[in-house]
Formats: sequence, C-alpha cells, structure tokens
Amino acid sequence: MSLRNLPTTLIVGAGIFLMWLVVALCSPLLMGTDPNALNFEALLQRPNINHLFGTDHLGRDILTRVIYAGRIDIWMGFAGVLPALIIGTLFGLMAGYFGGVVEAVLMRVTDVTVAFPFFVLVLAIVAVLGPGLTNFFIAIAAVGWVSYARLIRAEVLVVKNAEYVLAAKILGYHPLFIAFRHVLPNVLAPIIVYAMTDAVLVILFGASLGFLGLGVQPPTAEWGVMIANGQPYVTEAWWICLFPGLATVTLGLGFSLIGDGLAKHLRIKN
Amino acid sequence: MGRSKNTQGTTTPLLSVENLEVAFDSVNGKVHAVRGMSFSVGEGEIVGIVGESGSGKSVACRSVLGLLPSYASIDGQVLFEGSNIIGQHEDELRKIRGKQISMIFQNPASHLDPLMTNGQQIGEALRYHFNQDSRKARAEGIELLKAVGITDPEQTFDAYPHQLSGGMKQRVLIACAIACRPKLLLADEPTTALDVTVQARILDLLRALNQDRNLSIVLVSHDLGVIAEICQRVVVVHNGLIVEQGKIEDIVSTPKHPYTQMLIDSQPAVKARKSCEKPKIELDPELSEQPPNLLSVENLRVNSRTSRGFLDFLRHRKTSGLVRAVDGVSFKVRQGEIFGIVGESGSGKSTVALAITKLVSPSEGQVLFHNKSIMELRGDELTNYRRSVQMVFQNPYDSLNPRFTVAQTIGEPLLKYSLATKTKCADRIDELMELVDLSIDLRHRRPRQLSGGQCQRVGIARALAMKPEFLIADEVTSALDVSIQAQILALLERLRDKINLTILYISHDLAVVQMFCQRVAVFRAGRLVEIGPVDEVLTRPKEKYTQTLVNSAPQLHFSASLPAH
Repeated sequence: MSLRNLPTTLIVGAGIFLMWLVVALCSPLLMGTDPNALNFEALLQRPNINHLFGTDHLGRDILTRVIYAGRIDIWMGFAGVLPALIIGTLFGLMAGYFGGVVEAVLMRVTDVTVAFPFFVLVLAIVAVLGPGLTNFFIAIAAVGWVSYARLIRAEVLVVKNAEYVLAAKILGYHPLFIAFRHVLPNVLAPIIVYAMTDAVLVILFGASLGFLGLGVQPPTAEWGVMIANGQPYVTEAWWICLFPGLATVTLGLGFSLIGDGLAKHLRIKN
Repeated sequence: MGRSKNTQGTTTPLLSVENLEVAFDSVNGKVHAVRGMSFSVGEGEIVGIVGESGSGKSVACRSVLGLLPSYASIDGQVLFEGSNIIGQHEDELRKIRGKQISMIFQNPASHLDPLMTNGQQIGEALRYHFNQDSRKARAEGIELLKAVGITDPEQTFDAYPHQLSGGMKQRVLIACAIACRPKLLLADEPTTALDVTVQARILDLLRALNQDRNLSIVLVSHDLGVIAEICQRVVVVHNGLIVEQGKIEDIVSTPKHPYTQMLIDSQPAVKARKSCEKPKIELDPELSEQPPNLLSVENLRVNSRTSRGFLDFLRHRKTSGLVRAVDGVSFKVRQGEIFGIVGESGSGKSTVALAITKLVSPSEGQVLFHNKSIMELRGDELTNYRRSVQMVFQNPYDSLNPRFTVAQTIGEPLLKYSLATKTKCADRIDELMELVDLSIDLRHRRPRQLSGGQCQRVGIARALAMKPEFLIADEVTSALDVSIQAQILALLERLRDKINLTILYISHDLAVVQMFCQRVAVFRAGRLVEIGPVDEVLTRPKEKYTQTLVNSAPQLHFSASLPAH
C-alpha cells in the first residue's frame, strides 16, 4: 500500500511521534550532559546560546531535561496503555462471546469501577501502593481495562452474530479458536484507535501525578515534574514550565492525530 | 390489472430525463454510473426501471431529486414540468422535494425517525410545506394513513415506527411521501425488504394511489416480476445505459436486446415454466425405488426465549418471555434430493436449519441423520456429523471473514481437520475453487474485492471442503441479482449430481423453490402448513395459506392470448 492512500492526519501524527521516539532514543547522543547536573553559576537563565531552553532554579539545562524526559513519557504512554488493553480485550472478548456468568460478573465489576471517577480511583490506588512509576502503571491498568472491556464486548456482540462466525461453528471449531481467530481480529480496529487517545490521557495523567508528587520522583526528569518544579517561578521564569508543557502537547497531539487517522483509515477500509 | 388512462401523446411529459450522465470521483478515477439515459414519465403513468445492482438505476432515480453527493458530476437534463432540475439551487430543490416529487426507499425502518411518532413524521411534511397547525395536520395525517390502507389510523398515528411491522412502516413512509400531494413518486425498491404477501399488498396500494390521485410513479426494482405487476412501461438499464424501453407487454413477450432476454430467462418463474414444458425427471423409477431417507426431523419444537437479565439469572428463572420459534415440525429428506423450505420472515425456517446443525437445541423432538439421532452426539462423533452437514448463508459478504483471503477461508477447515497436508492444501484449494467455478486468480483476494456471486461461491467451496453429504442453503440467492442467482442455482444443481449432495434449500422465494426443488415444505409461524412434491404444492395448493403465498408472488404473465410476434 502506498503512503499516499493514508490519511494526512495519520502521516502527520506518525511523524510527530517518530520524531519524539528518535529524540528519546538518541537522547545521550543529542545531549551528552547529565540531565540532572546542577550548575549553580547559571540559575534561572533565560533561553540563550548555551542553554537554548534556559535553565531552572537549580541551573539544570531545560532542553536536556525535556529530551531525557521524553523517554519516560513515551514509555508511560505504552506501559500505561498496553496492560489495560490486553486485560480489557481478553475480558471483553470472553464476556461478549461466551456471555452467561462470565459476562454477568465481568460487566458488574466494570460498572462498579466506572462508578468512581477515574482520576480519584487511580490516585487512591497510587496512594495505597506508594508513589512511583511502577505503582502508577499498576493503578492505570487496574482501572483502565474497564473501558477496553466494555468497548470490545460491544463490538463482539455485533461480530459474533456474523454469518462467518456461524459458519465457523458449523465447521465444528472450538469456541476459543473461533473467539481468537475469527472474532478478535475483526473487533480490534476501534480498540487500537481508542488506545491512541488513551495514551494521550495516560501521559497527561502521569504528568499530573508527577505534578502532585505521586508519580515520577525527583530528580528524574519528567515533563509533569518539571512543570511542577517551575510553578513557583512561573511569573519570572516562564521557560521552565513552557517547554515541558509544549513537549507534552506535541506528543499528545501526535498520538491524537494517529488515533484520528487510524480511525479514518480503518473506516475507509471496511 | 388496472391500467390507468393513457395520457401520453402530444402534451409534454411530467418528467423527462434527457441524456443524463452521472460520474463519481473516486480514488481510482471517474466511475461512470449513468452513461446517457433518456426516458420520460407521463402524467398518471407508472414507469418501471429494471436492472441489476450497479446498473445505475438508483443513481438515476436520485438525481431527479438532486440527492446525489457533492462528488458526483452530472450532465444532461432532468425536466420536471418543463423546467430543468439539474443545477438548481438547494433552496429551489427544497420547494420541489416532497411537494412536487417525493420518494420512498427500500428499507422503511431506516427512513423513519425512531424518536418521532408516525404522526409527527407525516405532520412535519404538512407543516413545513403548507404551514398547517398541528390540529389540522393531525386530521389530515389520519386521513392519509387511512388512504394508505392502515386499519386503525388513529392508534398508528400516535405509535412509534418500531411498534409497526415492515409492511406497515412502508405504508407510513408512503403516507409521508404523498402527504403534500406530489405529482410524482419515486419508489426505489420499495418492496424488496418485504415478504411476498406484504409486497403484493404494497403494490396494490401503489396502483390504487396511481388511479385515485393520478399520481405518477417511477418504480425502480431488480425484479422484473414486480415491475410487470403494476407498470405500464418499463425501462431496462444495464451498466448505466438504457438497453431497451417500451410497453411492458412488448418487452416481456418480444425483448429485442439480448440483455433483456437474459433478464427474462433468469427469472425463476420463467425457468420453472420452461422446465415444465420439457419432460420432467423420469418419475417411474423413483416410484419403484425411493431413495433412503438421509435426514428426518421428528416433531421438532424449539423455544427461544428473550434474553434474561441479571436478576432473572440470580433467581434461576429460565423461561422469561418464551417464544415458540418452531412448533412441532416433522419432515424427511431423501438422499440426493433438493428439498425446499418456504416461508415468510419469522416462520421458523432458519431455526430448523440451526437445529439440524445443532447450533440450537430443540426443547422437544429429534433430528435423525442416517437413522441415528444427533441429539446425543459428543466429541468425535459430533465432529464427524458436523463435517457431513454443512451450511451456506444468505449474505455473501457477511458470511466470509473480511480479514481472510479466499485461500485462507477455504483452506482453514482443510488444515484444521488434517483433510490435506500443508503441501497438498494448495492443490485441494484450487480443486475446490474449480469445482465452484471460481477463477484461481482470485485466490489471494479478500471478500471486499469480490462480487456478491463470487463470495457466495467461496462460501460454497468452504462448505464443500469438508466433503459433506448434506448441504443446507439458507436464502443463498436472495441477496444476489437474478442472473447471478441463476448461476448459483445451476452450480448447486451440478454439485448435487457430481458429488451426490443432498440439499436443503431454504427460501422465501416460491419461484426459485419451484424451479429448483423436488419436494417442498411450507412454513408459517413455526408450523409446517403443507408438504409434498413441488409441482403439487405450488401449483395446486391445498392449504389456504399456500394459496395466498402463491397468488402473492409476482410473476411475468405469459398469457396464451399474447400476440405472437
């Protein structure tokens, strides 16, 4: 398939994302210096030739920190989404395809989970488990799978009545085989699209948690933490908050555009 | 058949389409849907447009109302009462739509707003075009519902669309369409989604509206039988071109164009008639030596219940909302025969098929295959049974996994059941594709790259991969064009002879069953009404219901009195 048939949003989004990925992977090459290196001779410097994005209150180079932080934030996007996606997809598929007790139990669990505000529930879990990135991922997966399960179940309910599923049954295949080989591939499209928007939410969420001091711990560079650190100085040193903020926005935009483009592309294909 | 007054002649026609060309811009360049059509509709005339899918008949119809999407480029003229519609501004078109020309569609359910009562939908048109107040609109709406033959117009007026049957919905849609007393009604496949008995009544209604209100009608249909039923003139379209037009009797009795001839020949009713002229299969040896029964269904009862809620589940309530889908049905299918099941929607004919394939379990009665009950089959025995009983489905696209190529679809059962080794599998796939007349070049295509008929052949090949003895064909041709339908039926017939297949053919189409099956069972509301040899049941029906069914089926009438040209 040629690139020309893909929606523009998908290409632009993928471009932004790839740029961030390359920057993040090559950060030691791009920025040789240690992101946490203090320099008390250059505190709160405006953007200049030596420090393109300026420095923070401890004299750390903002550009270096923004680039290193990209690694954590992109990782957050994936590690926050994937477990929830896998668990939610499996449960949703089982509930939708087999119905009965599995469905009744699973769907009530999701109802209960949905009854709590997402943010509050994640905060509560992180507060109980203790701050840190791993616990953040656990909390996100524990709460986030619910949306995937619901979405997949709804799709499965439609696809499982398709005649090709009936044909597979008449061919005598095992139900699990039918569920995974004939149903699952045909319900994944909306999930992938949703996962992209979800990745944006998780990144923003991780940043908010970092801001609150429950996510990534200082001095590790993370966009949310950097914004939190810059907050007291925002009136006189706007660059401390602005650049990590812009970074968050561009990565988020990239994911959103990918999601949008994928939705368009998959819809055209079907 | 009622013929309304002939107003053709010197006066200008109500609608005249001249050299209409419509093309759509697509990724692969321009697609020419209509390539120069000219026809006219006189006042009080019913004109039929007949053609197969993709012939451009619906596109031509829509362009009359300016309903084509913006990426369509239109050329030519559509003159309504002498003024050209093409190129008119939306505001001007809105004055014509509904008031002068209105339209009804194939699927009434999707053209009625589910959140509005039927009355509101009718009243809306009246209020919009005539500024009527709601009291007056109500009175007129009820009158309209009466006019379209609804027995309790007041209740229907206040009911929501989902509370009505398909035929009633189409009547409401017609009421909306004629509310503003248009001069021309465009009917795009108005009866295709309906049962034959309902179809006959809707056609009667259209004919009555034509006579009482002097309403001109353009009836678009794929079914020449339906067209012949009420139209005075017919336009035959093929590939965006008009191949022939003229009086319906002339076209049917002496078609000039080979395509029209083919269309008429593909009509199952005509085929049945022709095969009657030929000596039918020698009956004598059959009488002396009846083939053994392959499958018998004994006193089958299937209850389907509406889904249970969580509370029902907690209370172990198993029978909330019991519906008898099949109610005490018995019949036998002999080896090597094509046995038909005929019935309207909801008659339980598909449920019987599901019970035979063991996908639903009957609450009473049993199914015997080779004189062995299939009810207790487990494990390997069940797998063997599944292999010998296969099924082909109605919707050609829905019955194939959209992500699988043709080879994957046909090859999966082969590999799964080790019916062929990996190396031999490709050969076997080719063999099966040849068996169903599919070009091997299509091997790596996916369903969306195939035509409906090709998809259906893939479905048949997949079923045949298991080397079944018994094939259930559930409405396999009802989504296909008549010419493709004829091909698929010919294929099934050939397969029966070639690999000794017994076929259970389920259909709503009497003509197809009459042409294709040896014996038939007529179903109604879960019960078996009548059973016997096709020629007996469908030409000399004993039961009243079968008679209604037979009389409702639209047919091309080749009366002997037709002048021989």
